[in-house]
Amino acid sequence: MSTAAHAGSVGHLAFQPTGDVELQADYVVVGSGSGGSAAAVVLARAGYRVVVVESGPWRDRNDYPHSMLGAMRDMMPDWGGTVAMGDSIMPIVQARGVGGGTVINSAIMVRTPGDVLHDWARDHGLGDVFTERAMGEAHDRVDADLEVAPTPTGPDYGRSNAGLLEMLRSRGFEAHPTARNVHGCVGSGQCLQGCRQGAKRSTNLQWLPEVIERGGLVLSCAPVDRVVLEGGRAVGVRGRFRHPQNRQRGGTFAVRAKRGVLLAASATQTPLLLHRSGVRSAALGRFWRSHPGAACVGVYPEPVDMHHGATQGTASVHFRGGIGPGATLQPGVGIKIESLALPLELVAGRTAGAGRGLVDKLTDARHQALWITAVRAEAEGSCKPGLFGQPNVRYKPTANDRAALLRGLRLLAELHFEHGATAVRPGIYGLPDSIGPDQLHLLETPPRDNRGITWVLSHLFGGAVLGSDPSRSVVGPDLHVRGARGLHVVCASALPTTLGVNPQHTIMAVAQITALRLANAGNPAS
Amino acid sequence: MLRATVRWTLAAVFPSTDRLPGLDRLDTDASLAAFMAAPAVIRAGLLGSTLAFLLCPLLTIGWPLPAFLLPRDALDRHAAAMASSRIYLLRQAMLMLKTVGGVLWGGHPEVRAKLGLPLYGPDPGTFRGDDLRPPRTDAEPPA
Repeated sequence: MSTAAHAGSVGHLAFQPTGDVELQADYVVVGSGSGGSAAAVVLARAGYRVVVVESGPWRDRNDYPHSMLGAMRDMMPDWGGTVAMGDSIMPIVQARGVGGGTVINSAIMVRTPGDVLHDWARDHGLGDVFTERAMGEAHDRVDADLEVAPTPTGPDYGRSNAGLLEMLRSRGFEAHPTARNVHGCVGSGQCLQGCRQGAKRSTNLQWLPEVIERGGLVLSCAPVDRVVLEGGRAVGVRGRFRHPQNRQRGGTFAVRAKRGVLLAASATQTPLLLHRSGVRSAALGRFWRSHPGAACVGVYPEPVDMHHGATQGTASVHFRGGIGPGATLQPGVGIKIESLALPLELVAGRTAGAGRGLVDKLTDARHQALWITAVRAEAEGSCKPGLFGQPNVRYKPTANDRAALLRGLRLLAELHFEHGATAVRPGIYGLPDSIGPDQLHLLETPPRDNRGITWVLSHLFGGAVLGSDPSRSVVGPDLHVRGARGLHVVCASALPTTLGVNPQHTIMAVAQITALRLANAGNPAS
Repeated sequence: MLRATVRWTLAAVFPSTDRLPGLDRLDTDASLAAFMAAPAVIRAGLLGSTLAFLLCPLLTIGWPLPAFLLPRDALDRHAAAMASSRIYLLRQAMLMLKTVGGVLWGGHPEVRAKLGLPLYGPDPGTFRGDDLRPPRTDAEPPA
């Protein structure tokens, strides 16, 4: 049975328990997060019929969960159980569902730094494609579409955000209210669960409805098994519906794409999908990078109530180029600093100790401010298919990465005390659970290895990177996957380097430039 | 039996104190049932960590007994020692228990009320195309 006609009339097709869905499009986009949606809307505006295929379900704001249990169950692949393995186990924060990471992230939007584009041009041969002008124009379009603006520092800014901003500036460091794609944020601190107020301009609210209005279609609950390649050309995708709750396998789907296939399935899934589809490259799954981070908690005499305010309202890139001892500028591994409001459920999990001592520590939950540092790490990892087809991510921060992280945590501890914290919980194995101002020196002795730090990976890059060197890239400067005309990568998987800033804006800009090139070329698959 | 064992273990990690109720006093059956139906990677991690907690008091506090035979104070010392164990995998097992236990404990209305935090509404678990989903007032895609 074919339900193609039905699908074309509604604009969205969710889980189909039985039958075979067959569709035709000009372009099929796999993944509906920042990259996939950004590309899809450009192609739809150019008049092409676009089918977006997303492995997770489409949830609207009334579907969003309130609790972290609901967020893990409904919004994250495998309940957030994806990890990177190296000498330590590092959880990877990702989303699953229509809108991808844009639904559960903190809505931070940072334009691609100029030095990144310079590196891409010099080291990766991408200077003719991702020019400052092209990226600037793409950023402008995205800013206008998604209503990007600095977080207002009014009553809904939040005490934790205000405290970090004040303390960084008191030291003369660069610090700013984050620019975010929100409209009417009331500071509910629930970005991680999806914004039930509808303030976050996630792509399930902003771009995908426009794709549908322009004649496109979104398939949800539809994980793609493989890209169909015929004669070295991508001509579509195939897969089987899967129910998001009970994981029941449903009917099959096949989307035939006349002009091309764009992959935006994330830095953990795109390399695997390429591999399953028969793409072979020495660079596939390699050059996988991240911004590994960790948190430093300050405990204050008065309630901070970090659940009120922008989830991440303050950021600093002062040390993006490197941090030396004593919080000095020193070229090398850089860090970024941000505030982050975590719900009690996650604070409980990352607080040191167990048993009554742990519960006792959590009585001051409302008095805690959580500030984080993430490293623009030099480490390179890989993402290959695992035994059961799952992403097998191997990643190990280097000693330099670890040293930079420790310097960042030490700085945050100092800032907490200067701001009036009575104690700091550094979250580092081997140190006391809680330290006072006279114990800051303890942070100068780094753990021997990565296992002493509670790392979290939230910004992922690579695995199917762009570049001019065939031995070091999967996608050429012509934006086609090598050996597969009409196949393109428009997610973080394509980025050849880390950024040192939040990647969402860069992913959107790269995707839009790729889509614009396809739209302007008229017949890119030829 | 399995679920009761996991519940007992999580309660040892998040026990009641003078000021806050622990998982030994809170009704978290529905939440725990959800975890027990989670994908295999989560279930395997939770069950493996539970097993490690039950079997390793000898490694943490030198008691040659399974955790469920420990007196209350020794059980508490065992939990704390496992969280700061020199053995990385034991620390990771405790991190898994704390993550799951933290989600159950920190989301519970009684705990949130005691701490003065906003209470959570129900998690709908619904999505577009779901037969169980009630009619919506927010934006739907155009027909």
